[in-house]
Amino acid sequence: MTATPTRTGGAGRPPQAARRPAAAGRTPTARRSLRRAVPLVPAVVLLALFMLGPVIWSVYGSFTNASLSGTAASSPRFVGLDNYLALITDPDFPNALWLTVVFLLLSAVIGQNFLGLGLALLTAAAPKAVRSVVATTVVTAWVLPEIVAAFACYAFFSSDGTLNRMLAAVNAEPVDWLFTYPMAAVILANIWRGTAFSMMIYEAALNDVAPEITEAAVIDGAGGWKRLIYVTVPMIRNSISTNLMLITLQTLSVFTLIFVMTSGGPNQRSTTLPIFAYAEAFGLGKVGYGTAIATVMLLIGAVFSILYIRVLKPGDNS
Amino acid sequence: MRKSVLWAAPAIPFLVLAASGCAPAGNDAEGGDKSITVAYQTTATYTQVDKLMKKAKEDFEEANPGSTVELEPIQAEENDYATKLALMQRSPDTAPDVFYEDSFRVRPDAEAGYLLALDEHLAEWEDWDSAFIDSAKQAGLGADGKTYAVPMGTDTRALWYNTEVFKEAGLDVPWEPKTWDDILSAAEKIKAAIPDAVPFNIYSGTGMGEAASMQGFEMLLYGTDDTLYDTEEGKWVVGSQGFRDSLQFISDVYGGGLGPEVATALDSNYYQQLNGEGYPTNKVGASIDGSWIAGTWLETGPAPWPEWSEVMAVAPMPTQNGQEPGATSMSGGWTLAVGANTKNPDMAFDFISTALNKDNTLSFNKDASQVPVRRDVAEDPSFTESSPVNKFFSDLVEVTHYRPTTSDYPEISGSIQQAMEAVMTGEQSVEEAADAYDDAVRNLVGDDNVIEK
Amino acid sequence: MTTSIASPRRSVSRGVSSAVLLAVAACFLLPLAWLLLASLDTKATASLNLPAEFSLANFSAVLTPEQTLWPLWNSFLLSAGCAVITVLAAVLAAYPLSRHQARYNKPFLYGVLFGTGLPITAMMVPVYSMFVRLGQLDSVATVALFMAATSLPMAIWMTKNFMDSVPVSLEEAAWIDGASAMRALRTVVVPLMRPGLAVVFIFVFIQAWGNFFIPFILLLSNHKQPAAVTVFNFFGQYGSVAYGQLAAFSLLYSIPVIVLYILVTKGIGGSFATAGAIKG
Repeated sequence: MTATPTRTGGAGRPPQAARRPAAAGRTPTARRSLRRAVPLVPAVVLLALFMLGPVIWSVYGSFTNASLSGTAASSPRFVGLDNYLALITDPDFPNALWLTVVFLLLSAVIGQNFLGLGLALLTAAAPKAVRSVVATTVVTAWVLPEIVAAFACYAFFSSDGTLNRMLAAVNAEPVDWLFTYPMAAVILANIWRGTAFSMMIYEAALNDVAPEITEAAVIDGAGGWKRLIYVTVPMIRNSISTNLMLITLQTLSVFTLIFVMTSGGPNQRSTTLPIFAYAEAFGLGKVGYGTAIATVMLLIGAVFSILYIRVLKPGDNS
Repeated sequence: MRKSVLWAAPAIPFLVLAASGCAPAGNDAEGGDKSITVAYQTTATYTQVDKLMKKAKEDFEEANPGSTVELEPIQAEENDYATKLALMQRSPDTAPDVFYEDSFRVRPDAEAGYLLALDEHLAEWEDWDSAFIDSAKQAGLGADGKTYAVPMGTDTRALWYNTEVFKEAGLDVPWEPKTWDDILSAAEKIKAAIPDAVPFNIYSGTGMGEAASMQGFEMLLYGTDDTLYDTEEGKWVVGSQGFRDSLQFISDVYGGGLGPEVATALDSNYYQQLNGEGYPTNKVGASIDGSWIAGTWLETGPAPWPEWSEVMAVAPMPTQNGQEPGATSMSGGWTLAVGANTKNPDMAFDFISTALNKDNTLSFNKDASQVPVRRDVAEDPSFTESSPVNKFFSDLVEVTHYRPTTSDYPEISGSIQQAMEAVMTGEQSVEEAADAYDDAVRNLVGDDNVIEK
Repeated sequence: MTTSIASPRRSVSRGVSSAVLLAVAACFLLPLAWLLLASLDTKATASLNLPAEFSLANFSAVLTPEQTLWPLWNSFLLSAGCAVITVLAAVLAAYPLSRHQARYNKPFLYGVLFGTGLPITAMMVPVYSMFVRLGQLDSVATVALFMAATSLPMAIWMTKNFMDSVPVSLEEAAWIDGASAMRALRTVVVPLMRPGLAVVFIFVFIQAWGNFFIPFILLLSNHKQPAAVTVFNFFGQYGSVAYGQLAAFSLLYSIPVIVLYILVTKGIGGSFATAGAIKG
């Protein structure tokens, strides 16, 4: 899977002319416009049922005391804002919120983003062989199913794993990473798994920039760095903000990686919001409470999503 | 690449998907042959239930031609099994007809409407009156006084120890600890004599699930002057000295390096390593565990160890300071129950009566080293002879305790495990963890349902 | 992309940057190499080791119908079902969006983009309750529909971009011949964008294949569970003892998506088709 930067025509924004079929002289009536919308129906039904449905259900469910067991399971009651009030007083909630922010910032915004940008810049000027080695390893980590990536990282960080073996080789004290530094382990694991995405976005973006500019920026040392910051970065500004939004949203969703590596422990020291919601709703059977946590997460996702739309502005060129 | 082929390929699975039996549930349709599904737990080393169910399926299908029993083994540790079972029970379409259920979940699940009341069926089952021990029948009772589950066996807990490790550490065998301090001082000696052995194990933390609450915490707490729940008042106890002392013991073991590595102990599979490798290789001194762990070493078990009965020995768990009656134990046990929405209640119950008839119960109780709840099994010579510790564990019934039978126990138990984990990792002091537990209990059951001690 | 002028200073920095790149690649390689070597080592541990002897015993141990073959088939049914539904719905939806100017275009696309941002893991608790209420728990078909819906926003976005690049002039010829819009879509547009649709299909398929959380919560019967769930159960039970078998199982489960990925980058689209389309 070498990176050969040939782009299919479909990628990116299409030329204006291609997308306006015989626009001139047509004034679509309401009926025609309705008829034309018919093909949208399957998609709209699916999205309404399985995307909008759960969102509405989430808000509704968060006002009940639904449970997996006990009387609340057979006859859940409407409890108003009780779940949200309990969230505010539950010390585990700010803990999960804080760990989620740390996870987002360190693994996505800083780790994946900067490493991805760095790799994209360096590979642009690197010999083809080096480039293909980097692309193959980095992208393989990304292509692997999340649970397999999680096993590989679990083994890597476990007390008798590869990392400690390497530390022992240089006479450093071995550390039980998953236990002593669970957040560091899952953050590094998420960087390992997710950097390819940022790298590919930036490679594609840099492709639009004249190659000499990028290459010179890397090779010319100090002068080049300035050029990188003042010339290249502004040119790919849009890609940077798009990338940041996408990796933030992806990272907000990370469940399997943490679930497999630490299950949120020890002592909830790596319990991010998705793990917290799972543990409360399914582990302890407090479905209503877990749904309130889910609703908070959906709100956070919605805020990022709106920011993302503002950056992208679909159909802005119409 | 031939694109036309690539293009056509995706259609095939879609057609299969549409045509095959992947449509929403409902394979146990009425008319013609009947079938029931049976869900139970199985793990890499706990295969005794699997063996029992396979045998029962064979017996049942032979006796009832045309009937099918679909076994649905769930490969998971205790906590994950409970979650998975609850996820299945929640929906009538996916609820199994018969399932393996921990006795402490019977009451909340009966309240949730997941379990079928079995009284009418039990009335017609001769064995229920003649063979089952009355006190054991409590395990299947719901809050409304109806019986919702049939017990498979019960269990007691005590100290297990490796006599060779003890002798090497210069300790007296047989070991007769009278107080908690005796346990700690024995562990200190083992630690000094054999640095690479785990001196003493007590299950702790959320990963171990109910084993931490029961084999760990409650074995301590019920040996103090306090309890978890005030049965007379019907209230949960908060702020008790016994609770703090029990947490302090956990802290002494893990903080003092007398237990396994904390990280290891938090792994939900740790018991496999402890009993399957640790004891047979003389790398563990002592532990609090259930009667059933002998099943690990039997010929039929996952880690056969022919010499186990010469090397391993048992002692009753002492009370905190040796207060009356001198020893303590906890009893639980598992049951079989019928799903409330089963389409074939008679068949489901008949299956249970087959699975738990004398012969099958006898071999299950032997394989899993259970304390029998059937008189005929307890008295059967082949049971008493099958293991040298069977009598010891049966006798502990004299001093044993049962968990609170309220429906909020499972959640309270989760809070106990969190307090243990906070203390064993050093994250919180004993005081802080105990206070956090008190807050959690108040949140769960409300201020009216707690009593300050 | 080699530079013609190779000044000494340039070749030094080029050497340094190559060294940095190779060091990063080595870090990325370590966990991957463990997977590969452990799968070939009957005495594998958690650490990277060169096997004393290479053996396929781990593979033959896990290659049983219950352990891997049925779960892989279940994964295939689920992922392919999901991808087919997604591509069909996405092509239909993309057509009016790409070809007509209508008032609903903009809000719809906003809605679709908004959907791409919602964290699906956050939804699993309410989705579970919803499936219980609808009686659809443990139904492979409904789970495939749900997974299709979650990948639909991204798929519509990608498909619309691909469709925008198909010149309208070709369809106009069909319209003049009296063909309906749907027929023009089927006979003219879709054939022209096959590579693009293959990219979308494979993209959705890979995502569905790798999804663990959705089937973990919504599919409960053993015989319906995809490989993602059974490999997790295996990890829970034998993960810390049978490292070699875990790695072998993991590889068997990963190979299909790796092959598909190579197919999509080498064969169909060029490596940035996916990334480019996401970029929008």
